[in-house]
Amino acid sequence: MSTGPVSRRRGVSCSRWFMPAFSVALGVIMLAAMWIGGHPASGFGALGVMSAVGVVFLFGGRSETIRGLRGDGRDERFAMIDLKATAAAGVVVILAVIIAFLIEVAKGHSGNPYSWLGAIAGLAYTIAIGALRWRS
Amino acid sequence: MRELRRMQNISQGQLAAALEVSRQTINSIETERYTPSLPLALALAQFFEKSVEEVFHVNGSR
Repeated sequence: MSTGPVSRRRGVSCSRWFMPAFSVALGVIMLAAMWIGGHPASGFGALGVMSAVGVVFLFGGRSETIRGLRGDGRDERFAMIDLKATAAAGVVVILAVIIAFLIEVAKGHSGNPYSWLGAIAGLAYTIAIGALRWRS
Repeated sequence: MRELRRMQNISQGQLAAALEVSRQTINSIETERYTPSLPLALALAQFFEKSVEEVFHVNGSR
């Protein structure tokens, strides 16, 4: 355990430009996918939305939330907040998958793709528990 | 910790900059909404030239 000066994370992902660029890049990918799918107008809408998100990331530096999401304003407290928020989001998504699966099955359908999504979530969680336990 | 900081006449921002954390983190520690990690607690104690026990207390400790 290091007892030297506490420092914030550094690296490409912590640059204030990374998330804005990533947002725009994701928008371009979404445009390409929707264009291929025959919905270019929706693709341009998605690119517009993701570009707007990138602008918020770039110029929203007064907000600790924006700085934390962007990466350059993170310290140990925000890393903890990020971890808890990720876990909470994961629980919400898993619950949504379970509910959707049950609804599909109650309608007489197979439950796909929710059954697969739920299985992947359970497997990922179990593997993560095992890996983290082994490492600690 | 707030008392120690005020005795040295430094702001939360200045303390945060010295320890490379956010001002909000310092504020959260002072208002006991956030418990710092051991490295950060040691760094804070070292900054104030005190022991960890002099800077922090554990609620409900025996």
